[in-house]
Amino acid sequence: MSEWLSQSSLDAIAAERSKYPPEQARSALLAALRIAQEEHGYLPEPLIEHVAAILGVPAIQAFEVATFYTMYDLQPVGRHQFCVCGSVSCFLNGSDEILAHLQERLGIGIGETTADGLFTIKEVECLGACKDAPMMQLGDRYIEDLTPQKLDELIAQLRKEAEQ
Amino acid sequence: MPRIEIDGQEIEVAAGTTLMEAAEQLGIYIPFFCYHPKLSVAANCRMCLVDVEKQAKPLPACATPASDGMKVSTRSKRAKMAQQGVLEFLLINHPLDCPICDQGGECPLQDITMGYANPHSLYTEEKRVVEDKDIGPLIATEMTRCIQCTRCVRFGTEIGGISELGATGRGEKMAIGTYVAKAVRSELSGNMIDLCPVGALTSKPFRYKARSWELKHSQSLCPHCSTGCNTDVQSLGKEVLRVKPRVNEAVNEEWLCDKGRFAYAGLQAADRVQTPLLRINGSLQPVSWADALEAAATALQKTIGRAGPDVVAGIISPAASNEELYLFQALLRGLGVRAIEHRLRQTDFRADPAMPLYPALNMSLEQLETERNIILCHAYPRERQPLTNHRLRKAALAGAQIWALDSTEREFNFPLRQIRAAAGADLAVYEELLALLRDGTPASNPALADLADTVRAADKPLFLLGSGLLQQPRAAELLAVIAEIAQQTAARVSWLAESANSAGAWLLGCVPGRKPGGVQVEDAPQIWDEKKAFLLYGVEPEADSMDAPGVRAALDAADAVISISSFLGAAESYADIVLPLASWAESSGSFFNNEGRLQQYRAAVRPAGESRPGWKILRVLADHLELAGLDFDDLEALQDTWQKQLGDFPLDVPGFGVMPEIAARQQEGAEGLQLLGDWRIYQQDLLVRRAQPLEQEPVCRLHPDTVAELGISGGAVELLARNGAQVQLPFVLDAGIPHGAVWLDLGHPETQALGGVGTTLRVQMPSIRVRA
Repeated sequence: MSEWLSQSSLDAIAAERSKYPPEQARSALLAALRIAQEEHGYLPEPLIEHVAAILGVPAIQAFEVATFYTMYDLQPVGRHQFCVCGSVSCFLNGSDEILAHLQERLGIGIGETTADGLFTIKEVECLGACKDAPMMQLGDRYIEDLTPQKLDELIAQLRKEAEQ
Repeated sequence: MPRIEIDGQEIEVAAGTTLMEAAEQLGIYIPFFCYHPKLSVAANCRMCLVDVEKQAKPLPACATPASDGMKVSTRSKRAKMAQQGVLEFLLINHPLDCPICDQGGECPLQDITMGYANPHSLYTEEKRVVEDKDIGPLIATEMTRCIQCTRCVRFGTEIGGISELGATGRGEKMAIGTYVAKAVRSELSGNMIDLCPVGALTSKPFRYKARSWELKHSQSLCPHCSTGCNTDVQSLGKEVLRVKPRVNEAVNEEWLCDKGRFAYAGLQAADRVQTPLLRINGSLQPVSWADALEAAATALQKTIGRAGPDVVAGIISPAASNEELYLFQALLRGLGVRAIEHRLRQTDFRADPAMPLYPALNMSLEQLETERNIILCHAYPRERQPLTNHRLRKAALAGAQIWALDSTEREFNFPLRQIRAAAGADLAVYEELLALLRDGTPASNPALADLADTVRAADKPLFLLGSGLLQQPRAAELLAVIAEIAQQTAARVSWLAESANSAGAWLLGCVPGRKPGGVQVEDAPQIWDEKKAFLLYGVEPEADSMDAPGVRAALDAADAVISISSFLGAAESYADIVLPLASWAESSGSFFNNEGRLQQYRAAVRPAGESRPGWKILRVLADHLELAGLDFDDLEALQDTWQKQLGDFPLDVPGFGVMPEIAARQQEGAEGLQLLGDWRIYQQDLLVRRAQPLEQEPVCRLHPDTVAELGISGGAVELLARNGAQVQLPFVLDAGIPHGAVWLDLGHPETQALGGVGTTLRVQMPSIRVRA
């Protein structure tokens, strides 16, 4: 157990670490940061430093990884994250309008979280579902062929679930 | 061996050679930014794209190994399109601020744009802006100019041994930085300025001073340590504006440490001596050269006439040139003076008869990289000889086992094992190691047992002796034990010479008891005892002696102190005659480096004010003293003479001669904390400690347990010396300092009065709190 992570997370990180040769601790960073984020919800600076210390790599290497991938959250996020793809196929199919619509409906900007802590909007890179563009990721689900109407229904449904 | 063709020229290269290296061998230039022969290949700037036959896309020459039959074109239409495309994209976010950018005129991006870019850009949108970073007082950052080549990042991790810099973010948001704002400190940081291919990292002290094409270049040497780095002193008019490394693979490769790069700023110090000075009615007054020289000669002659030559001592800087060293000792020996010295920081000279001909590395710096087992004895080359340290780092990264024995743990930038002595018990560590190796007694310290195993198993391990050893109050006893260890184990002993020309000082007779060539003469009297006159040459004894208070008292009590120096410093109160000495940048000469390599340097600018090159001052002073045979017309004649006197000498010398009987000296038992300390990297000589950009505030370091025991809180302590001196200093908690000791940054005006290693201090909470 440490100040930041439970024993089970530490064990999981150790298991990931053991997959790589002793001098390649850096390789376990992706998994270790994911495990840390799963437990803590997001990755504040001290937690990133802590993960780097667990693996014995310079902290900057962990920051490089954490700032590169959009899947890592460096700020607290809402319960539901709308991760809208903004790469070329989605962009050509109107991802900008989808993002604009979301921002207008939720009253927040990209990268921001609603005051009730329910929603966060993110713009992410290609998620490999181009045939159903525009699309977004919500939790571990892909929601495809997005339209403003579809989004409104989704938001309403998620709000309802939250009230129950 | 692959045979390839580049631009129609055939070449056969070794397997694994990249297209970039093959092109270089053919003398074909391929433009690049991120590639650097001393760094790992990143291939991220894409500037070196070349057209390879049968390949779908252009390939980066720096990362593509040559394979048999490759046909490469660097100038085909496809190659040109690739080059133009890469440049257009690089310039999208590069501010076109060349007129106000210091890199202008020596900027690869500027040059390559002129040579390879399409003059038309399709980009009309806004450019990005990147926040500047703080990477120390020496490097100015303008990160908007950065093209993300990551040379600085790779330099940091691969050469500098610092891993705080990185590239965070992604795509056009990618930026070089530390993420968590903090200053990057490395003694090699200045090299990042040279490596940066754009104006993102430029020299802060040089900022807006001049354009590169206006500068005069002079081949010089770095006078700040024994590595002997080759430098290019760049000047405009009378002023040295910057110092850069000159490539010499055998010595400094293409690097230079910050001490060597930025110390030139001290040349403009306020206390630079501009005219000869003579003490008249209690204060130093400007006088003519003739009057000052006459006064100096008279003072020496009078003192010797009254009390004999043994009441005179001559102390010269170990950063003086061979020519100056030779003339200095010839002049003094001509007067019968025997007390001639260059080792201010040493106090125990009992092992002198066993000292080698000169402090020799006994190998080339390149060979040092291939050593397998190295034991550093009280050596901290990271601050003393940063680029020798770089060779040690390379050895360590190649798998050498390195150990360090010292009074404290140090911040090495390579993997090694450190063994720290208990407070003031440095000798005991070596004695225990000897006992382990000789008698196989059980060790009290498991690390020492491991070290003994390493030494036993190793084939001729290398004991590398550092300046810290000689600074010990019982240095001779330590040396005797190390000599015994070496004898028992067939280990080799080499020395890390301290200063730019420590080797020359030994070889040319600026030590008591030895004439040029190491010819031993009768024992010489002690330097500081019962002296009536001192001839000081380029030294500040009060700042560079272990026993600064004692030295200061001796200088104050002397009848005559003649200081030949570029800087006045505290000599203002103790010197009777000051002769202005041209600095190293203002005169020519030669140094022997740690390897015994003889190198020459040339004057870059004219001497400041009325100062004169040292060899000319000594020559004329000798003339005033009516000493024959020292009236050299030019530097060449002087060089011929000392070389003839020195004769041929072996570069490899035994680490020790025959060790005399050295009795154990009683350690003074006194209350308080054992004083430990060293001169920090930018306090080590007159010039560097005057370089404003390198200023370091003195601190003391204490073990957390010591602080707890003394009940100290807050950020400062009061230090009380037995001589009554009382100084308040900020302190730093450092678990590397032994318990019961206080570590002091020596040489600062603030810390001089407290004395040096071997004494004790009382440490307490400041009695008077001064509110800022």
